[in-house]
Amino acid sequence: MSAIVAENIVAALGVIAAGAMGWRMIAGRRAATMSVAGGDSVHAAPPSANALSRMIETLDLVPAAVLVLDAGGRILHAGPGAWELFGDSLGAIMRHPAALSAVLGLGDGDRAEVDMMLDVPIRRAVRGQFRRISIAPGQPVVLATLQDGSERDALERMRTDFVAYASHELRTPLAALTGFIETLRGPAADDPPAQQRFLEVMAGQAGRMQRLLDRLLMLSRVQMSEHRKPRGTVSPAAIVARVRDEALPLLEGGPASLNVDLPAGLPDFAGDADQVVQVLLNLIENAIKYGSDEHNRAVTIGLRVRQAVPAALMGVVGAGKIHGPEMGGGVRQGIAFTVTDNGPGIEARHLPRLTERFYRVEGSSARRTGTGLGLAIVKHIIDRHDGRLTVDSRVGKGTSFTVWFPFGDGVSLKRHETVIDTSCPQPADPG
Amino acid sequence: MVKEQAHTVSSYEQELDQVRGMLVRMGGIVESQMAMAMAAIVDRDEDAAMEASERDPQVDELEREVETLSIRLLALRAPMAGDLREIVAAMKISGDLERIGDCAASIARRTLRLDAGDARLSPGGLRTMGRLVQENLRRAIDAMSQQDSERAVEVWQSDAAVDELYTAMFRELVTYMMEDPRTIRSCTHLLFIAKNLERIGDHATNIAERVYFAATGEQLPVARPRGLPVV
Repeated sequence: MSAIVAENIVAALGVIAAGAMGWRMIAGRRAATMSVAGGDSVHAAPPSANALSRMIETLDLVPAAVLVLDAGGRILHAGPGAWELFGDSLGAIMRHPAALSAVLGLGDGDRAEVDMMLDVPIRRAVRGQFRRISIAPGQPVVLATLQDGSERDALERMRTDFVAYASHELRTPLAALTGFIETLRGPAADDPPAQQRFLEVMAGQAGRMQRLLDRLLMLSRVQMSEHRKPRGTVSPAAIVARVRDEALPLLEGGPASLNVDLPAGLPDFAGDADQVVQVLLNLIENAIKYGSDEHNRAVTIGLRVRQAVPAALMGVVGAGKIHGPEMGGGVRQGIAFTVTDNGPGIEARHLPRLTERFYRVEGSSARRTGTGLGLAIVKHIIDRHDGRLTVDSRVGKGTSFTVWFPFGDGVSLKRHETVIDTSCPQPADPG
Repeated sequence: MVKEQAHTVSSYEQELDQVRGMLVRMGGIVESQMAMAMAAIVDRDEDAAMEASERDPQVDELEREVETLSIRLLALRAPMAGDLREIVAAMKISGDLERIGDCAASIARRTLRLDAGDARLSPGGLRTMGRLVQENLRRAIDAMSQQDSERAVEVWQSDAAVDELYTAMFRELVTYMMEDPRTIRSCTHLLFIAKNLERIGDHATNIAERVYFAATGEQLPVARPRGLPVV
């Protein structure tokens, strides 16, 4: 009976069942705990575990983001495709009022489709399709497929954002250029020394426009890939080597020096190497720009790499007080890169706003050369990696930025046995 | 490890599950109220502003249900240890969620009365503050629905940044009002919006603390580590 139902489901999804022999994947790290992340509890009898697990075996072969919910909207199972695409956001998606009320309103055999928007940490547009079926008499489950419309949404927003920023921020240097051209044509037409001076300023303004455009394009690219998890693995040592090479032109002949502190044998982590390098370069560039104030004094930049837990958990973790749902798995570990400088420091009230686009700390000497986009880019990259950015600064002493990247639990890549529990939350399967 | 389940669900577990389910539903609703309030601030979306306050009765209703059911569980089942902590936490969390819904609705209503013309009052700071609060709220509700104390600690830690932003915004707005009394009307609304965001942040932190306590039986330490998280 259940095998027939399972085949029907697969047919309903438009996929030919290739047999239910494959592996069952489950979200080792958070799977079982997800079982509470839904709506009302089941009032009907819980689906029989056996019928359910056979159905899930088949569903996991479907190359799409497929979930199995109970009639109250709680997640019973999230397939590999769903984890791959949405990961930790599945809980937030399934408790969205649009999704929950759609699921709760379904009768047997009904379908529903809703569009949802999530704001944080990354803006995502999700379309959910739900269908309620019975896997045995009186045992309803809801099949859900989720589609990610974030890319289209991001593209649309990017266009409007780009136009707004470009028109706003390029206007100032453009106005300066126009003004100087007028002067060169008129009052300064016969004054070669003044012409040279003006041309130099104009070159500076043109350079600024160039940098701004480069950064805007980079920001757009970063935003477009933001909702796709990075696929590669990167080695901290290789990252540091690249950062050293690429930071060389910034340091040469300048007042800044870079000290690297890299212990041997740090493990690799999940990430996009180019983007991680970009993050560190932006931070180092900022340290040079803002660290050496108008007196051009020497600034010492430190780059320290450590294996660590997120900064927020330090101090609490040491005391052994964190017990996540994943007992034995422990707290998420990762690699932390800290960029320090001995510059003038930043007042605390500015710190939370530093990653805002075009936010400038007033009175800073770098306002002429900074585009105001460097940290916005950093933040988007870190969000994509599910990392953390913290900053600690003391006026007169210096600033330190710490970026933390998780090792990545590889949930979507590993093969695990399934724990199907249709009734109550369980400690997760140690992945 | 595969578990063979021939599970007879006790009605106690079922009732506890029902409480959890209602909390998650409340969480989902206040999250979307908060999202609508932010759309109202940042994009001046009036429909979103109206809808945010229309959701309020739903949240109130759920709060009453959670309370009734929790009291019933306490009275009839006399739960112990972790279960007792969870039920007590559930009652308090439903109160926090209800307050968050109120604050979000109040923010949304205020945006309708803001002067759209006053260009000096850029929403940059409010946007950042709102995003940070939204992130904390989401993490707090994730922590609640997954009984995840790691996330709870993160929320508790990032509230310092919300307070910092609120203080900065307060100073900035007071300065505007002193410089030009014509801005007093708009600035007062903005001040209350910022205050409400800060309140939502506090309630999210409360939720995180209660989740942590329910999960571990311990209170969070008093001192927070240095360093501010950045949105």
